[in-house]
Formats: sequence, C-alpha cells, structure tokens
Amino acid sequence: MEVADVTKFLAETTPFDQLDAAALGQLSAHINVYYYQAQDSVKINTDRLLIVRTGIFTLYSDQQQLLTKLQNGDFYGYQQLLTSLTDSDTLLCEEDGLVYWLEAEAFHQCRYQYKNIDIFFQRLFSRRLHQYSEQQQASRFTLKISDVVQQRKIAIRPEQTAQDAAKLMSDSRVSSLLVEENSKLVGILTDRDLRSRVLAHALPASTQVSQVMTRQPQSIDRHAYLYEAVQQMSQHNIHHLPVTDQGLCCGMLTATDIIRSQQDHPVYLIGEIHRQQSTDGLERCSQQIAALAITLSKQQVPAYEAGHIITTITDALTQRLIYLAQQQLGEPPCVFSWLAFGSQARMDQSLNADQDNALLLEKDPVGVVGEYFSALAEFVCQGLAQCGITLCPGNIMATNPELRLSLKGWSGRFARWIATPTPEALLKASIFFDLRVIEGSKGLFNALQEDVLQRTTEAPLFLYHLAQAALQRTAPLGFFKNFILEQDGKHKKGLDLKKRGISLITDLVRVYALYAGIHEVNTRSRLQQLAAQGIIDSKDGQNLNDAFDLLAQLRWEKHQHDLQNSHDVTNLLNPAEVSGLARHQLKDSFAVINEAQNRVKHRFCREL
Amino acid sequence: MFGWLFRKNTALSEVVNHFINTPFPASSTPVEQANFLVLDLELTGLTPRKDHIVSIGWVPVRGQEIVLAEAKHYLINSPVSVGQSAVYHGLHDHQLKNAHDLAQILTELLSQYAGYIFVAHHSRLDEQCLRFACQRCFGKAPRFRFIDTMQMEWQRLLRQGKVVKHDALKLPNCLKRHGLPDMANHHALEDAYSSALLLLSQLKLGGNTMTLSDLYLLSR
Repeated sequence: MEVADVTKFLAETTPFDQLDAAALGQLSAHINVYYYQAQDSVKINTDRLLIVRTGIFTLYSDQQQLLTKLQNGDFYGYQQLLTSLTDSDTLLCEEDGLVYWLEAEAFHQCRYQYKNIDIFFQRLFSRRLHQYSEQQQASRFTLKISDVVQQRKIAIRPEQTAQDAAKLMSDSRVSSLLVEENSKLVGILTDRDLRSRVLAHALPASTQVSQVMTRQPQSIDRHAYLYEAVQQMSQHNIHHLPVTDQGLCCGMLTATDIIRSQQDHPVYLIGEIHRQQSTDGLERCSQQIAALAITLSKQQVPAYEAGHIITTITDALTQRLIYLAQQQLGEPPCVFSWLAFGSQARMDQSLNADQDNALLLEKDPVGVVGEYFSALAEFVCQGLAQCGITLCPGNIMATNPELRLSLKGWSGRFARWIATPTPEALLKASIFFDLRVIEGSKGLFNALQEDVLQRTTEAPLFLYHLAQAALQRTAPLGFFKNFILEQDGKHKKGLDLKKRGISLITDLVRVYALYAGIHEVNTRSRLQQLAAQGIIDSKDGQNLNDAFDLLAQLRWEKHQHDLQNSHDVTNLLNPAEVSGLARHQLKDSFAVINEAQNRVKHRFCREL
Repeated sequence: MFGWLFRKNTALSEVVNHFINTPFPASSTPVEQANFLVLDLELTGLTPRKDHIVSIGWVPVRGQEIVLAEAKHYLINSPVSVGQSAVYHGLHDHQLKNAHDLAQILTELLSQYAGYIFVAHHSRLDEQCLRFACQRCFGKAPRFRFIDTMQMEWQRLLRQGKVVKHDALKLPNCLKRHGLPDMANHHALEDAYSSALLLLSQLKLGGNTMTLSDLYLLSR
C-alpha cells in the first residue's frame, strides 16, 4: 500500500512525472526511506538509485574537489546502475535530509517499460543535454541551400558559342548556365545576358560565351542557410548564385528556387531592408524583428539559428545604412571595412544586444578621409540606434575616433594588447578579438585578421592573461539560497544566463581559438574547428557545444517570454521558474563549464 | 494466507503465543540493528476499554530504513457505528462495509512482526487499544515493547531547557521542528509514515552509540 507523501513527490519529480498513478504506486513499493544528518557520508556504491527528497548533499571527486550539490529531486547512482562501474566519488550530507533508495530491479524495470525514463537517465549520464533536439524538424526557417537547390549542374565551357548556350538552356529548361574551365567556375551566363549582351548589340550567334558572361560571380556554399543566399542576392541585386561544395561548383540557386520554397520568412524582411531608401524606412522594417522572433520561436527554431538570423538582419540593416550614407556623402575617398565585434561578429546576437562596431580604413583617418568616415559612422550608428540596436554604453562604436583606424593603426593596437597584456585591459579588450567584416573590403579585413592571429599564436604571456581573464567568473554549482542570484539595477534577482554561463564558454573558446590561430569567430564553428584540428578533445568539444546550446536556448526562451509579456528583455532567469529537466541540464552545463575552465587553467595558466 | 490459523479456535491463541515466545532484542543492541514497526490506529473514541479500531496503518523500519514495500493500511469492521469520530479520521460507516476482520489483521501483525519494537506517536493509547483488541479476539494479549516518539520529543525539548507549549508535541508540529515533510492528516498509514520519519530523525539525533535501553529511557 502506498504512502501518499511518497507518490505525490514522485509525481512531481522529473522524469517520474510521466508515470500514471498505478505505476507510481508500484514504484514506491520498491523504495526505502533513509534520513541523513549533516556530516553523514552517504554509502554510494549500493546498487540502488538515490533520490533526494529533502536536504542538501555535496558530491566530491576522489581528489576532494567539489563536483556538484544535490538537492530535492536530484539523483545519484544512475551512473553505476547503467554501467556497473563503481565511482570513487564521495557524497556528504550538508543539510539534514531524507533520501529515497530505489531498488536496482525496479529502476531497470522502469527503464525498460518507459522509454522516456530510460532516455532521461541515459542523457543525464552521458551529459547529452538536448532532450528534445531530435523532435525538432527542419523548419522552413532553417532551410539550407542544399534543401532547395536543384540537384543537377548545367555547365558550358567559355570557348563555346552563344548559340550553344541558348540551345543548352532550352534543352535543359533553365534560365542560366555555369561557365566552367577545367572544372573551375569562371563565370555565369543567363538568358537575360543573351538578350541584352548578344541580341541587343547585334553580336553573331557564334560569339564566344567568355565574351558575354559575367566573370567571377558571387557564389555560396551549399551548407549555408537559405536566408544567407537571399541576403547575398539582395545585397548585390542578382538573381543567380552558383552553389559550391568544398570549393567545387555543384549547381545554381535562383531567386525562383527560393520563392518556391518560402512563404513567410525572414528572407522577406531582409529583402525589404535592402529596398529601403531612408533610415525611417529601415526603422519600420526593424519593428518587425520582435514579431519575427516570436514566430521563429513558435516554429521551434533552435536558439543558435535564431541568433544567426537576428545577426543577419542586423548585418542587412548595417549594410543598407552604409549604402544610404554613401548616397548622401558620395563615394568613399578610400577602401574601408566596416567591422563588427562581440556577438554580432560571432553571429549569436540576441534581442537585447547593443552595437559593437568599428571602421578599418585603407588610409590614415586624416583630412578628407577622416571627415568622410566620421560622418559615415555617425549616420550608420545613429541609424542603427533608431532601428532599436542601442548605442554601446562602452562607446565601442565606429563613431569613436579611437576606433576608426588604418590597417597600421589597428595592427599596432592589437600588437600592444598582445605584447604587453594586463588582466584589466584584457577584460575590456577581449571583445575586440571576435571580429567580422560586415561591409566593404574583405581583403583589408583579411589582412588585419591574419596579422592578429599570427601574433596571438606566438604569445604565451598574452594567452596566459587572456585565460586568467576568462577564468575570473565561474559557473554556479547549483541553485542554492541566493548566492548565485545577481541583482540588476531594478532590484530584480535571478541567474544571469549570460554572465554566469554563455559568456564563460565564449571566453574559454576564444582563448583556444586565438592560441590555434583559427579564423572562425562563431563559438560553435570555433569548437568544431578546434576538435577537427585536435586542439581539444572532441568529446569535450561536444559537451561544451551542448552546454552552450542549452544556455543559449534558455536565454532565447527567456527573451521570448519577456517579449510576449511586454517586459524588458533581460538575461536574468528566475530559478524558481526552471522546470525539472532544465534544472538537471543546467546543472550539467555548469559542471561542463567548470571542467573546461580547469582544463584552460592547466593548459594556459601554468607559471611562466 | 493465514487461513491455517483460523482452522481451529485454539490456533488463534497460537499467534499470541508465537509473539510472546519470540524474544525482543537485548537492551544493549545498538538502535541501528533493531527492527521497528511504526504504527497508527484510528479509533471510534479515546477510551480503549469501550472504543473500537476503525483503521490501522503500519510501516517497518529495518537498519534505519523505512521499508515502503511492507507499508500497510487496513480498514477494520467495527461492531458499532463510527459516529462522531468520522470528523477526525474521515472514515464513514458505508466505507467500512468492505473492511477487514480485526482478528485477521491482528494475526498478520503479530505473526509477521514478532520481535519487533513497536513505535507510535503518543503510544500509550495505541498500546492499550491493541491489548484490548487482542484480548477480545484471541482471549489473551501479549506484552508489547513500545517506543513513543511523542515522549522522546518531550524529553528532548526538556533537555534543551525549552518550555514545552501546549500543541508543541502534536505530530505535525514535531515534523515541522525536524524539517520533515508534513503529511500527517489522521490517515493511519500517513500518520504511521510520518511518525517513522520522526523516529529516523530522533535516532540520528541520539548519536552513533545509542542502544535500545537508551531509547526506552528516553521514551518513558
């Protein structure tokens, strides 16, 4: 016969909350209840599952390092039950409490009978944090080029004639051709080109393709997201994009392909942005971002993809503002690159991000050059602010003359940070080491990036200080009392998902990336590269990636919640509102971060 | 399963004899090695001599672990109406129609838990009721060893120099004081379980060296 207090508790505890009353009753008949007093050590190798009912229990490694704290609804012993491997951990009662011991036989039976419970414990064990990732289907928002592009490649050689081209187009029923020489893409030819460049100029049908094709066309990787293609098409006002796979051309993406696959989509917003003729128009476009974010969330778009989409929209706004500024100010006096730092550079921008940008100039910013770019920066930054991307409180913006420098100026600045690092300076400067070009010259930007990465890979002292800065904050060990709760200006309390989670991972990964000279800026891409190059263990990389995704997901959901309730969008999560599963996952994520921080410490912070 | 016990009238008293002949553990036994049965009775009134048992709940504690697999709750056929006592235990006459015979339940209790130290909150009432019930069913009653969690709590508070207020010893208040989940609600099994939790906490507070004789002293 069952004790109501026990079954009621089980019914409220993940994952047993999925069981019906009868199953809960059966389960509770296989439980023994024990009471621990503070300082008691728990016998953990008992081949039973420990379920904490009340009190707090602290888990230490065999080196007496504090691993985690268990409380109400937490489990221990599933490791041994699942793998039969004994643990050398010790579990100590910190605050008097009751535990339930569930017999191994009943635990296994429950797992065999209920797939979700099995999955829960397997995941808990393997630190796989995505309980639901498989359920997320490819939604329309996250289509990739490879999902929509025609799986055939229709190509012609440059020495063939316009007539050959016209015949090939008619036969294959396409409006454009790839022009290839020795399997290398050299141009594209569209039916419109035949009309406007051949017929309209009365050229003969024997004209060589190479004379009328568009040379060195834009192209896109087949693994890119579809909205990136739209972004590129809008920006350059083109309707055909060759698609490449590992550098080799594999097909053609047309505007029609995209329209066919899309109905309501951020691509339309991006397209609209590129058609605006004034900042006011862009402001109107940007007002749709919040609505779009809510739609994305309803479509269950994972947070990292949503961050990608939101960044792409910010990019589009920036690009259009630069275009509008040039309409007003005239052609720029020299080549330039508009740079983004921080989250925009990493492509994981959130809804409450502020501006972090700068200008990289071909010439020194003096005289006409100085005046022109000062005006351009003012126009773009104020425009972005009008579009809801707030001015940077730290003044990391192109409007700051300190951040409008020539290649030599920037290179010198990075060189100083790298050669004579101080921890305080690096805390502020670390944001500059995540940078990406948004508009303007890619070549200029590449030169700067090469220069910076060459320096960082050979600077152990710099990496030492950067690692120190990355280790200044730690993840909370659990949800206890108030000690993890931060206070914001309005006296709200909560767990700061960014400060105590996401940023910690970003910071750690940056240290490795700069050490290895990796060009990627996106945290997930950096992790992939680091694992691929064997800089970090691939399992550790996967764990960090999972933890990062989970924290980003929780922040994204929190922002959605704030938006829908018309609150200010903040990163503060109220632990009381965290569901059982998320709590387990959060705790695991924090453990992953702590382990990763330890590894960084061992690797980069040895005494020099 | 206890059918054999009812075949002859004389077999009934066999149960009591079996209980009487099973020795209790020595007083010097450390408490963590002793077996306890925590029980609770709901009654038609507060006078053992004339009132009847309406329901009984119990749960054993072995090695300081509450064994939920053996948690039991039985409704008992009563020769008289539950009357006004329904206000407390929530059991009405019509619910008791499918209830068990007192003799059958007492047989299970005595045969399965011979040698166990019985535990109850305010145990004197439960002990007397059990003895009268045995007398009525079997013609004789064994001696029980009872531990009283309420008495232990009172002693503990006195030793701390506290003034023990009216109500402070009621089960819900004791649970609260020990930081235990409070589910006590005049349901025989829930109350037995709650008393068992209280017992676990009290045993821990007694320290590692506590023996049964210490426990008997505390619960006097």
